Amino acid sequence: MNTTSTSRETTSDWSLLERIAQKDEVAFSALYDRYCALVFSTAKRILHRTGEAEEILQDVFYQVWCTAERFDQARGSLAGWLLVAARNRAISKLRRKADRTEELNENGVSLGVDMESHAAQELLLGKVRNVLASLPDGQREALECVYFEGMSHSEIARKTGQPPGTVKTRIRSAMDTLKKVLS
Amino acid sequence: MTNSEHIQDEELELNALGGLTEEEAAGLASHLASCGECAIKLAQSRGSAALLSFAAKQEQPAGTIKSELVARLRANREREEHYAWPLPANHQEDKKPKVVAEPAEAKPSSWWNWVVVPAAIALALVSLGLSWQNRRVSLALEKQRQATQALLHDREETEKLVGILAAADTVTVKLAPVGETVGSGVVKYNGRMGMVVYSAQLPEAPAGKSYQMWLAPATGAAINAGVMEKGSHWIGAVWLVQLPANTEAKAFAVTVEPAGGAPQPTGPKVLVGAT
Repeated sequence: MNTTSTSRETTSDWSLLERIAQKDEVAFSALYDRYCALVFSTAKRILHRTGEAEEILQDVFYQVWCTAERFDQARGSLAGWLLVAARNRAISKLRRKADRTEELNENGVSLGVDMESHAAQELLLGKVRNVLASLPDGQREALECVYFEGMSHSEIARKTGQPPGTVKTRIRSAMDTLKKVLS
Repeated sequence: MTNSEHIQDEELELNALGGLTEEEAAGLASHLASCGECAIKLAQSRGSAALLSFAAKQEQPAGTIKSELVARLRANREREEHYAWPLPANHQEDKKPKVVAEPAEAKPSSWWNWVVVPAAIALALVSLGLSWQNRRVSLALEKQRQATQALLHDREETEKLVGILAAADTVTVKLAPVGETVGSGVVKYNGRMGMVVYSAQLPEAPAGKSYQMWLAPATGAAINAGVMEKGSHWIGAVWLVQLPANTEAKAFAVTVEPAGGAPQPTGPKVLVGAT
């Protein structure tokens, strides 16, 4: 593997992160280009406001720059962390909670899939959308409420008029389907 | 669930998605802190949940966001370098990952507030004072730096002046008034060095006008030898100007030109002198 090139297709996230820890702006730029759309789109989907989504995008990558040396590859995936951090910050903003900073090394996120190339991201995009489209309406709605609106299972139960146990089962079933397709 | 039992997959899934209430999530936290198996499962569930981001309509952020971000990083790095301070070896402890505390719940006031709040205000005032003092010192330093630059520049000009006056091949040209002009001047010119030094006594230039010195070369158009105003080439009442080296001078002349000078002489001559 080429560890010095900044090509989107060949340099691993881990190599980029090592260089970012040395304050390498080129590596930072490559990592940003690789994931900015995903991070931004996640925040925008939750907040529906471009300005606020841009703020989150900047904050998430700024944290990567400041704390890159703390990231432990063994604890999980950087791409996963970026998405979780963007999602959690956007939900905090949406629900007017105190903004919580996700430590790079604090919460492991194990993706189990490759997201480092554009082609891999395109492939995942298709798969995830196909899975969601194939889910029964109740499962899809529960999943979107919990992930994009930050609702708890009891809030979803109140919103949909379903018992909390049903909501939990729907979410679990939807996630099982997603995992099966992606595994 | 007791602490020895593993967390059910359903609960882990919901925890990963953020679908538990705060109380429920807090209830699982202590088990997760001590059970590697559940922590791994939770990390995997977080990964699967994160992929739901692909369900969002994919949009590229504006290009300016990246440039703003890079500017912020550079500013941050400059600030860090500026305030870098040699630390003892045992200070490396500070580099260890720090856990960001959860936002604390609002608690009822206690007598501590009577100590903490005034102390916080006092600290804020001290910080403000220090910040103001820091700014004042920075301004003073900047003034000193500018004064030093000016002194260095003057010294450089003086050295050039001494150099041209002491050179054996420097010629002296006396400038005589033209017509009804009352005045005189003297030019020291060194063609090898391309330096000209001159001083002149003339009445104040008419409003909106400046006196300008010209070198008339043996061939070709007049060469601007400077406007006789206070400027970068001005030392007391002497003007020191750098011209192209090895220019053979036939004569020097002072003319009246629009304020700030002209690229070629346009006004009447007031002083002239042949080499």
